[in-house]
Amino acid sequence: MKLYQVMVEAFRSMAANRLRTALTMLGIVIGIASVVLMLALGATMQRFIKKEMEMLGTNMVYIMPGGDRIAEQRSRSGAAPSLTVADADALNRLPTLAGAAPALQGSFKLAAGNETSTSIVHGVTPAMFRIRNWKVEQGSMFTDDDVRAASRMVVVGQKVADQFFYRQDPLGRYLRIENVAFQIVGVLQGEGRQLDGGDLSEMVLVPITAARAYMVRGPFPDNVHYIAAQGKSEGVLADAVEDMKETLRDRHRIKLDDPDDFRLQNMATFAATAGKITTGIAALLGVIGGISLVVGGIGIMNIMLVSVTERTREIGIRMAIGAKPRDILLQFLVEAVVICLAGAAVGIAIAAGGAMAISAAADFDVRVGLNAVIVACAFASAVGVFFGFYPARRASRLLPVDCLRHE
Amino acid sequence: MTAALIDIRAVTKSYVSGSVETPVLFGVDLRVERGDFIAVMGQSGSGKSTLMNILGCLDQASGGEYRLDGADTRSLSRPQLAEIRNRTIGFVFQSFNLIKRMSVIENVALPLIYAGVPRARALDKAKQELERVGLGELGKRTPNQLSGGQQQRVAIARALVGDPPLILADEPTGNLDTHTSDDIMRGLQKLNAERGITIVLVTHEPDIAAWSRRLVRLKDGRVLYDGPAAEGLRQLAASHEQLLSGSPA
Repeated sequence: MKLYQVMVEAFRSMAANRLRTALTMLGIVIGIASVVLMLALGATMQRFIKKEMEMLGTNMVYIMPGGDRIAEQRSRSGAAPSLTVADADALNRLPTLAGAAPALQGSFKLAAGNETSTSIVHGVTPAMFRIRNWKVEQGSMFTDDDVRAASRMVVVGQKVADQFFYRQDPLGRYLRIENVAFQIVGVLQGEGRQLDGGDLSEMVLVPITAARAYMVRGPFPDNVHYIAAQGKSEGVLADAVEDMKETLRDRHRIKLDDPDDFRLQNMATFAATAGKITTGIAALLGVIGGISLVVGGIGIMNIMLVSVTERTREIGIRMAIGAKPRDILLQFLVEAVVICLAGAAVGIAIAAGGAMAISAAADFDVRVGLNAVIVACAFASAVGVFFGFYPARRASRLLPVDCLRHE
Repeated sequence: MTAALIDIRAVTKSYVSGSVETPVLFGVDLRVERGDFIAVMGQSGSGKSTLMNILGCLDQASGGEYRLDGADTRSLSRPQLAEIRNRTIGFVFQSFNLIKRMSVIENVALPLIYAGVPRARALDKAKQELERVGLGELGKRTPNQLSGGQQQRVAIARALVGDPPLILADEPTGNLDTHTSDDIMRGLQKLNAERGITIVLVTHEPDIAAWSRRLVRLKDGRVLYDGPAAEGLRQLAASHEQLLSGSPA
């Protein structure tokens, strides 16, 4: 008997018992929806983390002033500026680091024309652009000469450029920061929230020297708010962290048993943690999906056994007119698989809907990929074959004479 | 010499249920030549249904020999038996045994589908066969939408669709009124006469058995009579009269 014919009969049999078929499929639907959503979330997270890491720059370590307890309180009160430009220079010379860049930051008033807002402004050096892998869409970055001269130049993100100079060329125009006019020399490429909290399109970047001269005025002319450092490679990152700690403790003359007066934040571990959390969520979905598939499969086995009993006479008729045991086996097996695949189709649709809902709610691009669909169909077929086999074989082993006597 | 279509020798059959063995057939011999029209009669419990199931390869004998169309059925596997049923035998049952979920034409085509005939060709052939039994217009209906007589004609069309040499009819008129029964029997007789199809018919009604040429009467698992139908039925009627008049047989 041709497979096509068997499929036709499977569909007919499903249609004859619509409600029962729908209830039977439910477990498979939930299972497949979970599995597909899990795969979609997993893939999205991988993409997200990869992009994040590219934007953060790879192998990034941030150094912030202040230790865990007392030292931190001291530094927060401004009494002990524990990081300096000289620290950054010293770190820059470490062989395990590709570079280290100091930075100042603060929240300041921006204004151009009638438009005003308050934004975080970073005072940085060209080294920071290199480490963070920042690129300009238009114009250029400021140079080391600009830093030395404390030039009033600013590179802004796209949103900032749009806010102050909507549909105009922002290059060459002036943005007032704390009432000092800074000329826009470049517009930063890219957008999107990053793991360290900033959004590329909302960046306002000035030379660190200009930030010190016009915004962050204080009693300590050498202090910095953070240092961004980049390890040479992933392999030496742990060594680099140790080197940095040692160098800074040495420079800050911290005694052996005293706590650090700075904090290191390894962005790779930060991303890894984020990755672990999402992997955990995905794994949970996977477990739910797996359990649902098993439960759904048992449901299918149960219904198939009922169906075999109900249709015993039909099996007898089919055998009498020439159905071989294999034909009967195939008929029930295909029916189980078709139920599973139909359930999978519904499950995939639900997962796609869920992915869209998550995308809309969480500003997170979750998509159901082709590979997830293929995996789901393979899973569903496997469940159908596995749980349909026993009832189908039972049907195929019935004796025609017994079946025909069955009422 | 060509082999008989059906050749049964000393066939026995017992049903085992737990430790209890219930013998039903005690050594039945039966030869049916091609083109014969034979009625098997007997009261319930006489073993006629069991014999029918064995003849139809739906069940296997406990002992003895059964050659169908020259093939020793005792040595065949289940798939091989299915193939024999498919090619050699057309079944007509008392309760019609059509599949309710399928349309009439699909019911008729099913033996061909199992024989591996492509669907379109099988449906074509089924349509022809339905026309032959006078139901060409009803192919799209489901069995429930037909009368009993129509359903039995569909069943006959299904039995014939694969051009088998043998029709096994188990009480084919048991669920039908007299008028419809006569129609069905006339149809079977015509098949026998015009297409040379061998017919083995199980019945307990002498009126139905009278359509056949040869009669086999079974009693308690043994052949009581095997001969011309007319003579057999006369004997049967006589024994009934004796029974009614109270004198010993």
